[in-house]
Amino acid sequence: MSVTQEDPRPEPDELAGVPQLRGELAFRLLVDAVQDYAIFLLDPNGHVLTWNSGAERIKGYSADEIIGQHFSVFYVPEEREAGRPMRLLGLAAEHGRYEDEGWRVRRDGSRFWADVILTALRDDQGTPYAYAKITRDLTERRAAEEQQRALLVEQRARAAAEEALRARDRFLSIAAHELKTPVASLQLSAESLVRARDADRLDDERLRTGLKRMTKAADRLGDLVRELLDVSRLAAEHAPLQLSPTDLAALVRDVLARFEEQGETHRIRFTGPDVLWIPGDVARLDQVVTNLVDNAMKYSPPEAPVDVTLAEEEAGAVLEVRDRGIGLDEASVDRIFEPFGRGENAEHIQGMGLGLYISQQIVARHGGTIIGAPRSDGHGALFRVTLPRNEGVQR
Amino acid sequence: MSSDARILVVEDDDTLRETLAEVLLDEGYEVRVAGHGREALAVLTSWVPEVIVLDLMMPEMDAFEFRRHQHDHELAPQARVMILSAARDLEGAAENIRADAWLAKPFNLAEMLDAVDRLVAASAA
Repeated sequence: MSVTQEDPRPEPDELAGVPQLRGELAFRLLVDAVQDYAIFLLDPNGHVLTWNSGAERIKGYSADEIIGQHFSVFYVPEEREAGRPMRLLGLAAEHGRYEDEGWRVRRDGSRFWADVILTALRDDQGTPYAYAKITRDLTERRAAEEQQRALLVEQRARAAAEEALRARDRFLSIAAHELKTPVASLQLSAESLVRARDADRLDDERLRTGLKRMTKAADRLGDLVRELLDVSRLAAEHAPLQLSPTDLAALVRDVLARFEEQGETHRIRFTGPDVLWIPGDVARLDQVVTNLVDNAMKYSPPEAPVDVTLAEEEAGAVLEVRDRGIGLDEASVDRIFEPFGRGENAEHIQGMGLGLYISQQIVARHGGTIIGAPRSDGHGALFRVTLPRNEGVQR
Repeated sequence: MSSDARILVVEDDDTLRETLAEVLLDEGYEVRVAGHGREALAVLTSWVPEVIVLDLMMPEMDAFEFRRHQHDHELAPQARVMILSAARDLEGAAENIRADAWLAKPFNLAEMLDAVDRLVAASAA
């Protein structure tokens, strides 16, 4: 292969100033043929010594235009002014090799995203006599990657929106389902009273029982509506915590006393200190304790004991509620804290499956944690709430 | 219509169960109640009703399992079954457990009594 006069590629003697590069014509021709990479040499001060067709294609300069020019013209003005090109040469001189990714400028001023490898060529004393620079135009790849990322972000956003819609539908459907039974009770009790009255069968006892049932159904409806509102309030984060010094021991005893007043048949055993102060939202923490004890009773036979313990530990106040009920399987321990998430074995227990979700949200906003686990002896479930004594509270 | 037919009410909600029993008693039916499928099976071993009013979702044993056991042990095989539930697709559920009728919660007293009457009449026929 011969090199013609018209060929813009530099003649070997143009490299005469760099003796180490003599006699490398064949290799230089190979390099020159590379289209996808700009491969060129810089002198120790950063002036362009050689140019290949890949460099011309990527950067837009012909060999005539660029040989002898300082390589800082390839950099964006801000970097040029900040002295970045020479700093990179310095790094290559120091480490032998330096790789960089960033914006570079073409001859026409347009920018491209480049992957650059700068290699110092050293003489026997270790002094760089030239730098080899290999530049790849990654603009398209970067654009494709960005497009891919944007697509992923969009897909995720769409999936999240769809899941939110499905969750709302599920929420409404379960909410409606749960509300129907007490509505049916209320309606039937009222109708039954009217019917008895019309048939002249309405004595005091019948009236009293009917009204009691109606009250019970209405209470149940009230509870469900409150649960629903709690969830929607928590979701909207419109309910800031009302933090004040709270005696958790007194709070727990109050909750347990309330259960006893309601004629609860479970034996509730409490052990704990006389007082245990933490920063807390009294009403919200009451809700958490009530919910855990209520669950313990709901998921265990009427005669089974429920153990409530409160202790002061390094991590903070630790409240445990243990029951001897249907227990928790490992697969359910996380799911039970999700809205409407219930244990596999609890599908038919009355309630919406929102209580633990609400409790978890409340505890988290106190900076605490709540976990559920099967009891180690295999009988029943254990719930442990840890609440910090001073820090970590987010209002 | 007054009748001395026997009705078993299987419903886990206490209030609703008691009220259903009361209004059915008012109509002259003989009524037994159960809080879930297992209790209902126990009742059926010694007492055969003409009609079973059956909730679908119950603790311990739901309607589906109850029906399977009832069938396997041939307990009150002639009894007519009416589903009373807040679940969706009661028609599908009725087909699934071979129920004769279904009523969605909430319902009114008249429709409920009417449905029971018809099942009692059908069982007598």
